[in-house]
Amino acid sequence: MALRGRSVIPVFGLVFLFVLAASVRGDEGAPVRIGEINPLTGKLATHGGEIHEGILYAVEECNEGGGLRGRPVELVSRDDQSRPEVAIHQAEDLLYREKVVALVGGYVDSLVGPVSVLARKHEVPYVASASLQRALTRQAPNPFFFRVAHLDGIVVPLCRFVSRALSPRRVAVLFAATPGAAEMAGEVREALEKDGVEIVLFEKFRPGSPDFTPFLMKLKESGAEVLISGGFFPDHLILVRQLRDLRIPLKAYIGPWGVAYPGFVKETGPAAEHLFGMCAWGPGIHMPGTDEASRRFVRRFRERFGKEPTTTTMHGYTSARAVLEAAKGVLEEGRDLAGEALRDKLAALDILLPMERLAFDSRGDPLHYEQVVVQIQDGEIQAVFPPERAAGEVVYPMEGAATAP
Amino acid sequence: MAPGDSIYFRVLAMTCLYGALAFAWNLHALTGVVSLGHAAFFGLGAYGSALAVHYWKISPWWGLLLGGGAGAAYGVAWAVVFRNLRGPYLALATLASVQVPQVIIDNWESVTFGSLGVVGIPALPPLDLGPVRWDAGEDPRGQYYLLLGFLLLVAGIHRAAISSRWGWAIRAVREDEVAASAIGVNVWGARFQTLVSSAFLTGLCGALYAHLIGLVEPPLVFSLHISAVPLVFTIFGGRYQAYGPFLGALVLYPLDQLLFHAWLPAGHAMVYGLVIVVAILCFPQGIAAWLQERVKSVWS
Amino acid sequence: MWVQIFLNAFSLGSFYALVAMGFALIFGVTHAFNLAHGELVLLGGYLAYWLTRSFQVPFYWTLPFCMLALALGALLLHLLVRKVREPFELNSLVLTFGVALILQNGMLSLFSADYRLVPAAGGPVKLPGFAAYLSPAQAWLLALSLGATAALYLLLKRTFFGKALRATIQNREAAELAGVPIRRMRLAAFVIGGSLVGLAGPLFGQMAYLHPAGGMEATLVAIVVTIFAGIGQIRGILLGGWILGLAETLAVYWGGASWRELVSGVLLILFLLWRPEGVLAPKRRAVP
Repeated sequence: MALRGRSVIPVFGLVFLFVLAASVRGDEGAPVRIGEINPLTGKLATHGGEIHEGILYAVEECNEGGGLRGRPVELVSRDDQSRPEVAIHQAEDLLYREKVVALVGGYVDSLVGPVSVLARKHEVPYVASASLQRALTRQAPNPFFFRVAHLDGIVVPLCRFVSRALSPRRVAVLFAATPGAAEMAGEVREALEKDGVEIVLFEKFRPGSPDFTPFLMKLKESGAEVLISGGFFPDHLILVRQLRDLRIPLKAYIGPWGVAYPGFVKETGPAAEHLFGMCAWGPGIHMPGTDEASRRFVRRFRERFGKEPTTTTMHGYTSARAVLEAAKGVLEEGRDLAGEALRDKLAALDILLPMERLAFDSRGDPLHYEQVVVQIQDGEIQAVFPPERAAGEVVYPMEGAATAP
Repeated sequence: MAPGDSIYFRVLAMTCLYGALAFAWNLHALTGVVSLGHAAFFGLGAYGSALAVHYWKISPWWGLLLGGGAGAAYGVAWAVVFRNLRGPYLALATLASVQVPQVIIDNWESVTFGSLGVVGIPALPPLDLGPVRWDAGEDPRGQYYLLLGFLLLVAGIHRAAISSRWGWAIRAVREDEVAASAIGVNVWGARFQTLVSSAFLTGLCGALYAHLIGLVEPPLVFSLHISAVPLVFTIFGGRYQAYGPFLGALVLYPLDQLLFHAWLPAGHAMVYGLVIVVAILCFPQGIAAWLQERVKSVWS
Repeated sequence: MWVQIFLNAFSLGSFYALVAMGFALIFGVTHAFNLAHGELVLLGGYLAYWLTRSFQVPFYWTLPFCMLALALGALLLHLLVRKVREPFELNSLVLTFGVALILQNGMLSLFSADYRLVPAAGGPVKLPGFAAYLSPAQAWLLALSLGATAALYLLLKRTFFGKALRATIQNREAAELAGVPIRRMRLAAFVIGGSLVGLAGPLFGQMAYLHPAGGMEATLVAIVVTIFAGIGQIRGILLGGWILGLAETLAVYWGGASWRELVSGVLLILFLLWRPEGVLAPKRRAVP
């Protein structure tokens, strides 16, 4: 059954030419084209896919409402494979061949950075969905870069929560060896130590470790009351299971990332009870005054995708909404959707969305982004801090190692 | 504003970089060693250059050489420490050896910035060559010409390792070490030379990458992907042909980046995998070997 | 407390060994370097997930199902790998690299990128007399890894078929000359190896998690343990896994989680330097 080597090359050649021809695009007519670059494959596919769905939903919602002054919006998606050079190539492709007027998306800072540099070069605005690190808006000023999230929105409420609501004396910090997690852990340690809290354990792990038991034994010995676990969804899956299995006495477990997800609660089951997490939005957790919009989002997202939207989905949605609102503004003034005009509208944006009151400062950082602390109670994700956004009471200390399912 | 066709220059530039990486890997593989740890040299080159430029404020051009040197130094360590290992055991040792620089760099925060990585790495400064200004830093076209030149340099060394007297010694070592040493080939010398040159060139690739992308992080430059890519490209393209490794890069990389990604944003990797599977079944010696056969049969 | 640490180290080691066993058998007999190994383990895990979540099948029943399913899956892979021509090892490596990409992205579109856990089969049990707990997953790991090792040992040492397998592992050409049906041995290796992968799948889904891109870790573990123990030393896999598990656990306990990979890497290298043919391989005696 050997494949004839001779016939494969011409077949490949024909396919290549055909697809190349099909992908060359003529001048765009009416549609407004927006490009997005997310990790669609690989380890980050989970959250990259959520961001993509949020953006897609926003675009479809806009088109259902008649588009942008009658012009339909087209979303062109690309995968960055979690490598910066691929993100750069795909961004260039979107800007040059696909001729998009704006870029959205992005999950990891090491990819958002290079894309933002390209955006400045080509003078096309880029609204990042999930960039956190300070350096991106602190280094060279980039008038074409905006983001709907930043690290302060996590670190500030987290430290306030630990100091005021929990007031432990000994805290342990575990974090993943990624830039975002490392930056967060460093800032949290600084802030907590200033508040007089003793950081008894401060350890970094490489994501992908299947076993946390030696760390957990050290945790037990250290007498820490609170563990701030700066890992991601899959790390929590393993860590929480082992925490319960080893019956480690802990009063609170806080996972700033990866805990406040319905999927996490479902997979972890009863062992998730009383864990703390953080999110910028959730079904039932939204900015005051956005009740209706948030509920409609949840309902229609469920209908469209058959799954629950998460805080990550909402980050994608929010960043896409920013671009769409700005584009609408530009078109309403009768101007062309050129980079400068769009950029100016984005800089002047101020709209209330379920996740945040969206407005950017002069560096492109969001002015009003603040996450809330949630706790899993009876299998539900409840907002518990800050008090003005809380829907439930803080349960502290958490139930001792949860009973078996 | 950048010229509109910069996408093609960028992709071709990266193709040249990966091609050079594949040539450098194969240089060592020609002695019969399958290294799974070349990412160690790449990462050391990237960090060596990035940190040297950051701390000593030297020109990135000198940083490149330092990066290559860092890679070469680790290559010397390999040559000495792994001299008695062969086959899959050597492969495993090379794989494990990536952890040493990666974890040290990841933890030595005060010097290397640890997990945060080094950001804001300066691009290569433009060279004023008489009337011509060659901008290999910001301009994709300039980048492409630089990497093309680098590729040709590495290709030349690779070719020498196949078709020269040195190449003859390498081949003897690959086919039968004991016999080779019996007829007077300096086995240790051949292995050492190929390893250290391979390490130097790979380190250079890493340094170029750092200045091209502008940032480095431990999991990025020490990743298994960097170790696997030259292997896949070389076997796909042809291990024993002078242009084989580059052919692998030339076919697979632009195809993937320009075509598969645009065609199937989420499914491109599947097509990529399919292409590899079909190619290995149809061209077990690599595409270059098959081409050689065709050319021969046409000429004869 | 040390009891707990050692208990965890050995169950981690058993986990590594179980994941590696199928790979080791296939590689030892056929020299096929299966880079899609991790994806096959994941497939077993996804099957177990589906059975337990959708049909409430108790955990121990998922094991025979997965063993059967993966034996079949490995058979299909064998049909593909059989077509690979020289250089066999390198080509099989690159071929299975492509297969891994296909499987990974196939799983991504079929199962979505959601993280999944195979639910635990009960709560932890306290060991009488010690301040240590044993979780059901750990108990299964220890039992299954010992059981599989024992079964393989009996197969290889006490049956005629096993003898033929051992001959193929030690020297394929000589075995062929001696009349061993090599092609049937290769088929058997894939089938048995596949069922071992099926054994590891559900436990992988319990001990770690299921995600389409999570196969690489399992493949790496398999490669490391297999080569570490020595090619063809199937019975040494468990011991090799235990050594690695113990080394890693102690390294993290004493040095911190951030040094885990460095210590395992350096230890691996030191062991290889000490025994360049694999740690548990018998020292080659000089040919007279």
